[in-house]
Amino acid sequence: MSDISARLHNLRALESLSMGRTVIHRVHPLAKLFSALIFIVCTASFGRYDFAALTPYLFYPFVMMALAELPYKLLLSRMLIALPFCLFAGLSNVIFDKAAAFTVVGVTISLGILSLMTILLKMYLCVMAALLLVATTPFTELTAQLRRLHVPAVFVMVFEITFRYISVLLEEVYAMTTAYKLRSGSKKALDMRHMGSFVGQLLLRGFDRAERVHAAMGCRGYSLKSIPPPRRQLRSSDVLMLAAVCLPALLLRFFMVGHLYMTG
Amino acid sequence: MHMADALLSPAVGMAMNVISITAIGVSAAKIKRNELSEKKIPIMGVAGALVFAGQMITFAIPATGSSGHIGGGILLAGLLGGIPAFLAMAAVLIVQCLFFADGGLLALGCNIFNLGVIPCLVVYPLIFKPLLQKSIGSRRLSIASIASVMIALGLGAFFVVLQTVASGITELPFGTFSALMLPIHLVIGLVEGIVTAAILCFVHKMRPEIMDSLQPGQPSKRLSGVSTKKVLAILAALTLLTGGFLSLFASANPDGLEWAIGKTTEKVFGAETELGASEDGIFEIAANVQKSTALLPDYTLPSDPDNPAGTSVSGIIGAMITCALAGAAGLIIFMVKFKKSRALKDSGSKNKEDQAQEAQTKEVQAHV
Repeated sequence: MSDISARLHNLRALESLSMGRTVIHRVHPLAKLFSALIFIVCTASFGRYDFAALTPYLFYPFVMMALAELPYKLLLSRMLIALPFCLFAGLSNVIFDKAAAFTVVGVTISLGILSLMTILLKMYLCVMAALLLVATTPFTELTAQLRRLHVPAVFVMVFEITFRYISVLLEEVYAMTTAYKLRSGSKKALDMRHMGSFVGQLLLRGFDRAERVHAAMGCRGYSLKSIPPPRRQLRSSDVLMLAAVCLPALLLRFFMVGHLYMTG
Repeated sequence: MHMADALLSPAVGMAMNVISITAIGVSAAKIKRNELSEKKIPIMGVAGALVFAGQMITFAIPATGSSGHIGGGILLAGLLGGIPAFLAMAAVLIVQCLFFADGGLLALGCNIFNLGVIPCLVVYPLIFKPLLQKSIGSRRLSIASIASVMIALGLGAFFVVLQTVASGITELPFGTFSALMLPIHLVIGLVEGIVTAAILCFVHKMRPEIMDSLQPGQPSKRLSGVSTKKVLAILAALTLLTGGFLSLFASANPDGLEWAIGKTTEKVFGAETELGASEDGIFEIAANVQKSTALLPDYTLPSDPDNPAGTSVSGIIGAMITCALAGAAGLIIFMVKFKKSRALKDSGSKNKEDQAQEAQTKEVQAHV
C-alpha cells in the first residue's frame, strides 16, 4: 500500500517541480515540446551498435537538469518503470548476437552486449527528454499549448480531467484498501471475487462525484468552448533554446561525431 | 505491455503516431457532433483515471499465489462505448508516458494503437457488441468481456512483436518472440477478462442506465455522423498504406533514415565535392573531418572492417570521456547556481543558526 502513497507523492513532486522559476521553466512550452521531440527522434534513429556515437547526447539531460535545478534521484527512480521490457529485449540480443565486437584487456565484448548497452542508453535519453519536459512545464501551460496547436478541445478536456482525477481516485483507493484489510484479517491483497464490487463501487462513486463537480463548474460558466488559451509569443530566448538543443542533436546525428574517435 | 522508445525505429514510431493521431482526431470530431456526450466528458475522465488507479489495486489470483491487476480498454468500452473509451484510453496513455515514464513520446503512437485502437475501435464493435446484441445478462456479459479482453490483449501483444521486429533494434526472431509473448498475454487476458466481467456485471446491476450504449437499438441513434465502419476502413487503409510504404522503403534501403540522409547530402554536397554518383558524399566529408580532428587516432586497434560496430578501445575511452564531460558540465552549472543561492541566503541563515544554537543550549540547561 505504501506503493499507492509513493505514487501519489511522485505525481505531486513532479508537479511541484514544474512550478519552478529557472531559465528552463520560463521557456515557451512549444520550444520545449519541439526540442524534446527532435531529440527523441534523433536518439531513436541511431543504429543498434552506436553506443559511442550516442554518448554526446548525455549533455542534454545533464545540462538541462542542472539548469532547471531538478533532483536527479526523483527522475532516476522513474527510469525503473521503463526498464523491464527494454532489459528483456536487450538481453535477448546478448543471447542471439554473440559475435565479438572487440576485446578490452583480454575480455571480449560481444555485439549483443554492445547493443544492450545502446538500448539502455537510448532508454535513458528518451525517458529523460520526456520527464524534463513535464518537470519544467506546468500542466496548465502544457494543455494550453495543446489547445493552441488545435488539438480537439474534447480530447484536451478528457486529458485534463483524467490527470486531475488520478490523485483523487488514488486517495480513494488507498482508503478503501486500508478499510478492506482492516476488516479481513491479515490478507495481503484483495480476493479476486471481491474485485467486481470493489472497483464497481469506486467507479460509481467517481462517476457521481465527477457529475457533481462538472455541474458545479458549469454553473460558473465552464464549458468546452469557454476558455480561449492565452496567447504567447515566441521570444528570442525561446528560439535560442530550441536551436541550442536541435542543432547539436541533428549535427551529431548526421555527422556521427561519436565516430571521430572511433575510426580515426 | 507498453512499447518503449528505445526499441523503436523513428520510421515505425512516426507511422504509428500518424495513425493514432488520425484516430484521435476522427473520434473527437465524432463526439463533438453528438451534443449528448458533452455530459459524458467528466465520466470519461474519471473512467480513464480509474484505469490508472486500477493498476494499483492488486488482487490475489486463486490457486497461484501471484497477483494481478486490472487494466483496460474493454472495461472502458463496456462502460462508455467504443469511441469515448478510445479517447479516455489515449488520455491515460499520454499521462502515463509523460508523468510515469511508461512508454515514450515516440512510442506513444504504438501504445495508443495497441492498447486503445485495438480494444476500443476493433474488438469492441466486432466482438463485444455483437455478443450482447440480443440481451444483456450476467452470463452474456461475462462471456463477451472474457472473450474480448483475451482477443484484445493477444492482438495487442502481437502488434508489439510486429512493431519491435519491424524496427529491427532487437535480434529476436519473429517466431520466438511471438511464442514468448502470446501465451503470457492470453493467460493475463483470461484473468483480466474475469475481473472485467465482474466489474461490468456489478455496474449493470446497480446502474443499468450507465451502460446505455449497449442497449440494442440505441447505438444507431447515438453514433450519428461517421459510422464506426468508416473509421475502421480509414484506419485499415492508413495502416496498409504506411505499412506498404515502409516495407518498400525498408527492403530497398536497409536503413531508411541513412538513405534519406545520403540523398539530401548528395544534393547539398554532391555537386561541390564532385563525388559524382556516390551516395556516400557525406561519409567522405565526415571521414575527412574525422582525419583532421580525431581525438584519439593512435589508440585505435586494428579492427575488422566488416565489423558493424567499428568500435575499439579508443571508442570506449572516448565514450567515457564524453560521459564524464557531460556530467562535469551539469555539475559545474549546479555548483555555480548553488553558490549563488548560498551567497544570497548567507547573511540571513547565519543569524538563524546562531538563534538555533542558543535555543539548544537553553533547552539543555533546562533539562539539567
